[in-house]
Amino acid sequence: MNKTLLHGIVAGLLTALASISYLMLYESILYVDFSQILNVGSVGGASIISGLLIAAGYLILEKMNKEKWKGGLNVLIILLSFLSILGPISISLPLEIDFPELFPGLAIPMHFFPALIFFGLQPFFLKKT
Amino acid sequence: MKTTTQFTLAGLILLLSAFTLTNSINWEISQGHSIKFSGTDAEGIFKTMTGDITFDESNIDSSQFSFTIDVNSINTGNGMKNKHAVSSKWFDASNHPSIQFESNKFSKTDKEYLVTGLLEIHGIEKEITIPFSFINNSFVAKFSINRLDYKVGNTKGMNNKVSNEIKLDVTIPVISK
Repeated sequence: MNKTLLHGIVAGLLTALASISYLMLYESILYVDFSQILNVGSVGGASIISGLLIAAGYLILEKMNKEKWKGGLNVLIILLSFLSILGPISISLPLEIDFPELFPGLAIPMHFFPALIFFGLQPFFLKKT
Repeated sequence: MKTTTQFTLAGLILLLSAFTLTNSINWEISQGHSIKFSGTDAEGIFKTMTGDITFDESNIDSSQFSFTIDVNSINTGNGMKNKHAVSSKWFDASNHPSIQFESNKFSKTDKEYLVTGLLEIHGIEKEITIPFSFINNSFVAKFSINRLDYKVGNTKGMNNKVSNEIKLDVTIPVISK
């Protein structure tokens, strides 16, 4: 299997594990229930997709022989992670959900997990030149 | 003797029917009430409401509504918007913790009822006439108010994004006391 693709899959799975653990801990510690918006399925799915998307970006650069642009891609991924937090800040939850003020504290950290875990695993998936 | 018994029975029936009438016009707000508001860039509910309701469809002049809504129970679905809504820039809940309505006149049209009373929001009291219906032990009212009449927010800067006209959609299920 292509090493970059494997990197994306492993990063996605670990992101899913981290995000689901955080979701369960957050909800049990703070006695909140955001399952209508975020649940194990949606968080797990989104985590795996995000890992694969980052890997897809790397694969495209490799196919184009533009390996030098990987630094630029990393900056873009970080920038997108920051921009994506506007979502949980501005979202209006269904009105029957209590404590909407606690939702950003749950969702925002999760937006940084994919990049954090993908970059953190990078030394294990370096290609020999 | 027979006449006395008949009179006593008739008296008892009258007495019981009077209690039935009295019971039927006093209502208690039950679970599931909803006070929704909506306008451009402002949408949400007030979760907590208390009130006294006296309402008799056959004698609406004797009716009386008195409602108190807890401003701090506002929920827009967004925690930061909720904090902003109760701040001094909007409802100023620390100084004006409740919205109140006190009826003073009832009337009836072909399709619905009208209640006229004093609505107090943000410490400002204004007379308002609210159309409502009473179906299946539920009071339902849809009407609009102008937030600027009650000095809720203003039209400066980003506040201008919120429409002045705010629609209210109120459903109050009741049970007979």
